[in-house]
Amino acid sequence: MTEGRLGFEGLDACVHCGFCLQACPTFLATGDESDSPRGRIELMRALERGDLAVTDPALIYHLDRCLGCRACEPVCPSGVQYGHGLEAARARITAARGTTLLTRAAVWALTTPGVSGVVYWFARRLRSVLPRGIAGWGRIRFALGMLVATKGDRGRDEAVNGGRRRATPTASHRPVPPRTAQLFRGCVQEGLFSHVHEATKRTLSVNGYETREVPGQRCCGALHAHAGLLDEARVLARANIQAFGDGDEPIVVNSAGCGALMKEYGHLLGEERGTRFGTRVRDVTELLAGDGKGPVAGAPLDLHVAYDPPCHLLHAQRIGAEPLKLFAAIPLLQLVPVQGAAECCGSAGLFTLLEPEMSRAVLETKLEHLRHAAPQIVASGNPGCLMQLGAGLAAAGIHAAVRHPVELLDDSYRVAGRYE
Amino acid sequence: MSSALARDLAAIVGERHVSEARAERFTYAMDGLPTHRRVPDLVVLPGTREELIAVVRLLAALGVPFVPRGAGTGLSGGALADQGTVLLVLTRLNRILQIDNANRRAVVEPGVVNAKLGAAAKPHGLQYAPDPSSQTACTVGGNVAENAGGPHCLKYGVTANHVLALEVLLADGSVVELGSPGGEPWGPDLVGLFVGSEGNFGIATKITVRLTPLPRAIRTLLADFTSIRAAGEAVTTIIASGIVPAALEMMDQSCICAVEDSVYAAGYPRDAAAILLAEIDGRNVDGVVAETEAVTEMLRKSGARSVRSAATEVERERLWQGRKKAFGAMGRLSRDLVVQDAVVPRSALPHVLETICTIAQNYGLVVSNVFHAGDGNLHPNISFDATDPALKQRVEAASAEIMQLCIDAGGTITGEHGVGIDKLRYMHLIFDAESLGAMQAVRRVFDPRELVNPGKVVPIHACREWTSIRNAKFGMRNDTTGFNSAFPIPHSAVEVTR
Amino acid sequence: MTILDKVTALLGEGAVLEAAPDRVPRVAPGSPDAVALLLGTAHQEGWRVRIEGAGTWLQSDAPADIALTTRRLDRIPAIEPSDLTATAEAGIGLDQLRQQLADRGAWLAIDPPGLAGRTLGSVVSTATAGPLRHGYGPIKDHLLGVTFVTGDGRMVQSGGRVMKNVAGYDLTRVQAGGFGAFGVIVLVHLRLRTLPRADVTYVLEGAREDLTQVGEDIAAAGLTPAALELVSPALARRERWVLAVRLAGSPALVAADEAGLGAASGGGRFAPLRAEEAHAFWMRLAEGFAVRPVTFRIGGVPTASDELLDLLQHQLGDEWISASPAAGAIRWTGDASIDRLQRLRRTLAGQEVPLTLERAPWPLRGAVGHFGAYREGVGPLVAGLRRTFDPGGALVVATEGT
Ligand SMILES: Cc1cc2nc3c(=O)[nH]c(=O)nc-3n(C[C@H](O)[C@H](O)[C@H](O)COP(=O)(O)OP(=O)(O)OC[C@H]3O[C@@H](n4cnc5c(N)ncnc54)[C@H](O)[C@@H]3O)c2cc1C
Ligand SMILES: Cc1cc2nc3c(=O)[nH]c(=O)nc-3n(C[C@H](O)[C@H](O)[C@H](O)COP(=O)(O)OP(=O)(O)OC[C@H]3O[C@@H](n4cnc5c(N)ncnc54)[C@H](O)[C@@H]3O)c2cc1C
Ligand code: SF4
Ligand code: SF4
Repeated sequence: MTEGRLGFEGLDACVHCGFCLQACPTFLATGDESDSPRGRIELMRALERGDLAVTDPALIYHLDRCLGCRACEPVCPSGVQYGHGLEAARARITAARGTTLLTRAAVWALTTPGVSGVVYWFARRLRSVLPRGIAGWGRIRFALGMLVATKGDRGRDEAVNGGRRRATPTASHRPVPPRTAQLFRGCVQEGLFSHVHEATKRTLSVNGYETREVPGQRCCGALHAHAGLLDEARVLARANIQAFGDGDEPIVVNSAGCGALMKEYGHLLGEERGTRFGTRVRDVTELLAGDGKGPVAGAPLDLHVAYDPPCHLLHAQRIGAEPLKLFAAIPLLQLVPVQGAAECCGSAGLFTLLEPEMSRAVLETKLEHLRHAAPQIVASGNPGCLMQLGAGLAAAGIHAAVRHPVELLDDSYRVAGRYE
Repeated sequence: MSSALARDLAAIVGERHVSEARAERFTYAMDGLPTHRRVPDLVVLPGTREELIAVVRLLAALGVPFVPRGAGTGLSGGALADQGTVLLVLTRLNRILQIDNANRRAVVEPGVVNAKLGAAAKPHGLQYAPDPSSQTACTVGGNVAENAGGPHCLKYGVTANHVLALEVLLADGSVVELGSPGGEPWGPDLVGLFVGSEGNFGIATKITVRLTPLPRAIRTLLADFTSIRAAGEAVTTIIASGIVPAALEMMDQSCICAVEDSVYAAGYPRDAAAILLAEIDGRNVDGVVAETEAVTEMLRKSGARSVRSAATEVERERLWQGRKKAFGAMGRLSRDLVVQDAVVPRSALPHVLETICTIAQNYGLVVSNVFHAGDGNLHPNISFDATDPALKQRVEAASAEIMQLCIDAGGTITGEHGVGIDKLRYMHLIFDAESLGAMQAVRRVFDPRELVNPGKVVPIHACREWTSIRNAKFGMRNDTTGFNSAFPIPHSAVEVTR
Repeated sequence: MTILDKVTALLGEGAVLEAAPDRVPRVAPGSPDAVALLLGTAHQEGWRVRIEGAGTWLQSDAPADIALTTRRLDRIPAIEPSDLTATAEAGIGLDQLRQQLADRGAWLAIDPPGLAGRTLGSVVSTATAGPLRHGYGPIKDHLLGVTFVTGDGRMVQSGGRVMKNVAGYDLTRVQAGGFGAFGVIVLVHLRLRTLPRADVTYVLEGAREDLTQVGEDIAAAGLTPAALELVSPALARRERWVLAVRLAGSPALVAADEAGLGAASGGGRFAPLRAEEAHAFWMRLAEGFAVRPVTFRIGGVPTASDELLDLLQHQLGDEWISASPAAGAIRWTGDASIDRLQRLRRTLAGQEVPLTLERAPWPLRGAVGHFGAYREGVGPLVAGLRRTFDPGGALVVATEGT
């Protein structure tokens, strides 16, 4: 990280034009400048100047309510680096107040090796007996809804393996020479979405990539970084850089939130190693889309799909076209347009847990648009979004399932007999 | 300000819609022109018209002044509230109440974002023509208050030409309806008077606007020039020809480069001294084609190096996005920006533009021009770093000199951004004391106690006294001598900087 | 000293046009400053002043101590054809102004009712737009700024000479359509267009309902006429209602619209008028409104036009009517009693349609008023403006009636 201003300099370019206001989900929810990018930039500037104390409750309140979705960045004509500023501000706040117990507990439970294993095991047990209808708007029932939303298609991988890792069948015809990619497993993704990892490996193999497992990898550190625990995030980042080694192989990530941070390890660490690591990180849709041709076509799936681009993919990584290529490779599949698709769903990592009120307000708008679009499936490439959307759809009584786009391609390939 | 007041307000709008904390008030200290900074004492965000009325009645009863605010994209400090003043934020009043397809009009709440009204009209084959560059952010209420213009106002007219009727909440809490749905006034044109009054006559709570049919054919031309003068002359030629382009916009080199460096890069030639963006539209394809040819010819004859026509809708959109986001993109040039908004007779453009260059050179400053050339509405923007006091002084001197230049050319000090607090100091250059006094007197007809948005638009110290003004509402003689105001008039362009 | 003596002392003999002992002295100040001087004195002396232009529109019949006519304020200080702006004094006759503009290739796109010599000031202060309002908007859209003198002799400028201007409150708007109640307009800054190189008029006769439909079809077809006027048989001096379409602009645009006109005429045939015929047609229309005793305008939404025409016909009879349906504007002229007008105004107000009395003899004007039937809260505002701009009540104008 840049010595001295630690990311605050990313805010200097702001000319207060307000073009970001309508892109910001929290501003749309409350209409309050303090919940807008421009307002938060003022807060952060005041914090850096020392006009506002790092313990100022209102400052903390409004920065906590930021989803970190960075929808404000791509619309900014002045090129303000909001995300960097936010990280710097959150680091200051966290350093001063410490982390809230809830955040602490959540990060600990979800990302600590050993602990999280137990948590996820228990969660998987639980979700296998929960019906979709359990989801509701209260804290607990929404949470349970989120958990149910993590179920893989027909619980396939789980039914077969009880969630344990197994050899993925490879494609029947493999282009020669196959390239290799290293798979990033993450914590939540690994604990609850291992079926997405399996789908990732299978679909990549059809498209000429062999995936390698990398031992010793850790959580990406995004939850920590977003909670202002920059030092802990740095420890994790260093561990991952170590684990993935110095090779040139792409590192494939299927969780947009993880990918976004890993691509910015250079900024996080302020080290050349991190930058180099970052250039290797690829979202799974980037690899599958290849050099523009798009993935190998599969069998037709007669589905109406709404694509909900995760903020960390669309805004943070600026990946918009590649996921669409995945859908295009599935004949018959129809993408239904959704108003405000590019707006955040309100998940944002731990946000849904820590700021339920704002999170639900943002989610409600999204659900209204989805109800109108009436898809069968809502696809999104981030675990948090899938859980948030899944729980929200169920709670709102909208009949649509949530899937990672790779799962859909995987189904299409399976029907096409590519795995036989 | 007492927290008892905050409590009473919270009882009306709900606790979370009253901001009392210093940090929250900080975020409302500026509008789109951050060279001015005023921290309001209290911020209230009513969620309905009824809440807004109740809030204003409470404030009126207590005699507490207040300032309406839309999206806060204004460029004259109009939406800033001082100490002792409550800021009323109208962003939550954002419903489109009606789109009357057959009569081509819409009724909206003041907090509706300009572009969202446009989007709602589009499926009906209609548009809301005034398109300030800030349209993706600014509110219709703010547009009404500022009489906002935009690139396409050259042909379609500014906000004032599109507002048919208004429901206005006066400073004393009473509600009046101005104008009729057909646009014919009930007497003197109070709608026209209200539009552009910068929130000094009351708060627009319901706005009826005219919608116009979407054009059926649009041609967008990009012409590039190797000298600013040539581009200015091309504008004069086109205007004098009688063809009224839908838009005729100019951008100089420094601005072009800022845009090309931004996410809104539009493919403007970086080596051009200036570009003109001309758009011809209409309901009749043949007519549009013929006029486009004529304009192309005039551009060439005026010395355009190349004239390119947008081939697709995507390309057209890109050309416009570059223009509309140009002001924001100028944030790339430096920390701070002084935004100007003068209008000159169109035939004076070549001379004025050249002289502005000279002034900039004399002061060693970077001036970027991006503006509505067809209307003669200039926006020479000066980039600088406000942390350098010597530089700040030079910027101020140059600004004043540019303003004087425009006035001498027969122009005015603001074409669309309004006076607010930023241009108070120029008002006496174009209006004599009598005329300023008349304005102040009219303001007092609407708001005898000067409760709403005090200290804006009219530099009170420069007014000739209108002693015979009577208090309209109460029919009594107003015995205040002169127009005192608790709000000092700023004399410096860059008073408070971050 | 009589009033006349004082005025003569103040402005010189040349300013007094009429001094018969049994008539109201008619005074013609020769400059804006002279207007201010006169009104300042009138305010102090308590004289009642009635404002007159050329006296071709409103009868010179208001009770007053002196009549102030603007007819000597007839200079045109500036015409800028390359900027398409002009500045003219308020007393200039519209016909003269139009001629001078035409000589420079410029055009003021308004065609108000009344005689050709009506003064610019009277057109502005009564905001009387004609058929061209369909294509070019109401009078106020043509004004960049005005200078006016208040009832107590203060000279106030508002607006400016440039195309866009938001410096200060737009007091011009109060003067446009103020009927002189808020001061005497002395100078007007105008927005011009280039003289259209093509200007043709077509007419179609038929039943009113059919013509209304044709009008809608023309709009739907995307034609952009300068005027689209529905004229009653009596006013047009024809057998049936007439739909007149005026196309003006560049030859290319006009030709394109002409081509589209045939398709939209609903089976009927539009007949082109020769240039002199067209001129005579529009002249007659304009002059027709200045000959009968009472003229008023009403403004509703476009879809209400038909209903409003029915209402007028029903309540006042089939007099002389001209309407721009798409602009929702209707003008009526004929004979009507105070009572009828007041009732009509009330009925219309119930439908959110204002009735503005444009012309009438003083007794009727005084009783009915130019304006009235305000929405709640508007009355006090108008009264407040009146007090502001004419604190002594020197200007004799029938604003609201009795
Ligand atoms: C900014 C950001 C950074 C991210 N960084 C990482 C990363 O570094 N590594 C990584 O693997 N993923 C990362 N992700 C993905 C993220 O971890 C998951 O999206 C998220 O932890 C799980 O969903 P959630 O945050 O929406 O739910 P949470 O906020 O974690 O939980 C909300 C509620 O849902 C319930 N719930 C959620 N999960 C479970 C569970 N497993 N068992 C029982 N109840 C549960 C809880 O009861 C809780 O109250 C990131 C996402 C974002 C947006
Ligand atoms: C990048 C950029 C580009 C711009 N481009 C243009 C342009 O092309 N043309 C142009 O004209 N302007 C432009 N502007 C200026 C600005 O966007 C306009 O003045 C706009 O109308 C302000 O709207 P707002 O909602 O942001 O109002 P605010 O800034 O919130 O308020 C402006 C004024 O209106 C008053 N006000 C707000 N709402 C009401 C209401 N309901 N009733 C009464 N008063 C009210 C406020 O008190 C204040 O005085 C631009 C600004 C930016 C930042
Ligand atoms: S768009 Fe960019 S420059 Fe404009 S207010 Fe938002 S962050 Fe600041
Ligand atoms: S990151 Fe998202 S929530 Fe936060 S300010 Fe930007 S747009 Fe708003």
